[in-house]
Amino acid sequence: MTSVPLVSVFSADDSSKVTAKHIPLPAVFQTPIRPDIVSFVHTNIAKNRRQAHAVNPQAGMQHSAESWGTGRAVARIPRVSGSGTHRSGQAAFGNQCRKGRMSLPIKVWRRWHRRVNIKQKRHAAATAVAATGIVPLVLARGHRISQVPQIPLVVEDKIESYEKTTDALNFLKRFGAFEDVQKVVSTKVVRAGISKQRGKKYRVRKGPLVVYFNENAKLLKAFRNVPGVEVVNVTRLNLLQLAPGGQLGRFVIWTQSAFAHLDKLFGTYRYSSIIKDGYQLLRPLITNPDLARIINSNQVQEKVQPAKTTKVLHEVQKKNPLKNTKAMDRLNPYAKKQRVAAAAAIKANTKGTKKIKKNKALKKASRAAYNKVAASLNDATKAAVQEEQDIKVKYFSVQKGAAQTE
Amino acid sequence: MSQSVLWEVVKGNNAFLVKRNGLTLSTDPFNNTGVQTYSSTGFITQNAIGVVPTQSKVNQINNVNLVARKSTKFQQVDRKTKNTQSVYASTLSVKHGIHTASRVIRKRFGTRRLGLQKAALRKLVKLNRANAVRRRNEIAATKAQKK
Repeated sequence: MTSVPLVSVFSADDSSKVTAKHIPLPAVFQTPIRPDIVSFVHTNIAKNRRQAHAVNPQAGMQHSAESWGTGRAVARIPRVSGSGTHRSGQAAFGNQCRKGRMSLPIKVWRRWHRRVNIKQKRHAAATAVAATGIVPLVLARGHRISQVPQIPLVVEDKIESYEKTTDALNFLKRFGAFEDVQKVVSTKVVRAGISKQRGKKYRVRKGPLVVYFNENAKLLKAFRNVPGVEVVNVTRLNLLQLAPGGQLGRFVIWTQSAFAHLDKLFGTYRYSSIIKDGYQLLRPLITNPDLARIINSNQVQEKVQPAKTTKVLHEVQKKNPLKNTKAMDRLNPYAKKQRVAAAAAIKANTKGTKKIKKNKALKKASRAAYNKVAASLNDATKAAVQEEQDIKVKYFSVQKGAAQTE
Repeated sequence: MSQSVLWEVVKGNNAFLVKRNGLTLSTDPFNNTGVQTYSSTGFITQNAIGVVPTQSKVNQINNVNLVARKSTKFQQVDRKTKNTQSVYASTLSVKHGIHTASRVIRKRFGTRRLGLQKAALRKLVKLNRANAVRRRNEIAATKAQKK
């Protein structure tokens, strides 16, 4: 790697001011992203906070029930002894019985916790830290970072001395992290299920994680009451916080000293970790993971055979050429011309033949004759009607207007 | 980070993934097809363009914004508009300039990513048309009210 990626440290009071312009990114952020390791380690480590619980060992067994044996027309399951109550003679003890004990009752000595190899845990933590510096992963985890000035976000140590929650809130607002906090607040939901009656009433999302270094820092109390925000010392980074749910890409806010401490904590590719004894950062399996670039490179394209074209032998569905013109043309290229010629011939016939002309003339003549007769009939009827009216008016002294209606 | 690597991490589960009715869809702003696939998922690339509708004010016309994915580390301040761009995207409003927007899309995708280019242009045209219809209806409504 010739160029080392650089990062700015921002002033705590003003998000546009940069106190340290270009700090090299700690080597942890170059660790290969290994979701498989993180997923494995997370599922196991998440089990370590569980508290032992068990079913009462006597539950369902506090009877002197005995099987009645065969020959009494009942199932052979143990039955409650005695008489004088409904319960007597009822089935007992079995997991299938009502009021019976469960099958394989839970014991307190169930293996609640899992141990994971230290190296795996460290690799997982390193990967999780690396993922916090990759913008698409933080977006994919669902954090609202559109107003954040830089990812990874490194701020000067001044925030470690914040004591008031208002200072903490204003700081988050200044750095665009408040959008994430607002998301947490607006998506607080009452939990589904019985747990809500057992002290876990709300389901709250995870917001930003603030990582500090100095043990005397007071910022824990300042950020404590801000919903969704967690505060952690860089020496005690927790995979359950860096990759909640096994999902990489938590939005992390680093203080400058915490950021600087990461090289000592995880080591680099030049020296192994100073604090984690003998720990060396994971090396990538492939140095260049950009598959598209590899495939399109000259070296590969030179050797690669030309792409095979799938040769289509015939259509999947058979088309009838007598009905489907395109299918016909495929079989007989001359068919198109024949069709065109036939159509032209028909058109010529319908327009100018003698017979057709004669027919047309006849039609015209007959129509004219008909119209003539119809017209004369019309006149005759009109005249007749008029004559009738005149007679009525003249001889029967009917009013001129009234004659019409009769 | 390489798109291939990020895809392996993100394809199983991400904040934009929506699985409904047997379909695998995405609400990724840089995805113009709506379906989650390797090539259409823009937020894992360095150079995607998303066409996004925005609501400027309550009763105003919805504008359309182009959101261009970029991979610089630092937030930039646009000197002209004084708007701060985000770490992962810069926006261009296409309130009046649909031609500028389509040129931006064409230039970004060129001839190599025709599928993505067509998808972005298709969405741009559709949103713009919807805007025009909405504007027409609103104008008609205000006219009717005046009467």
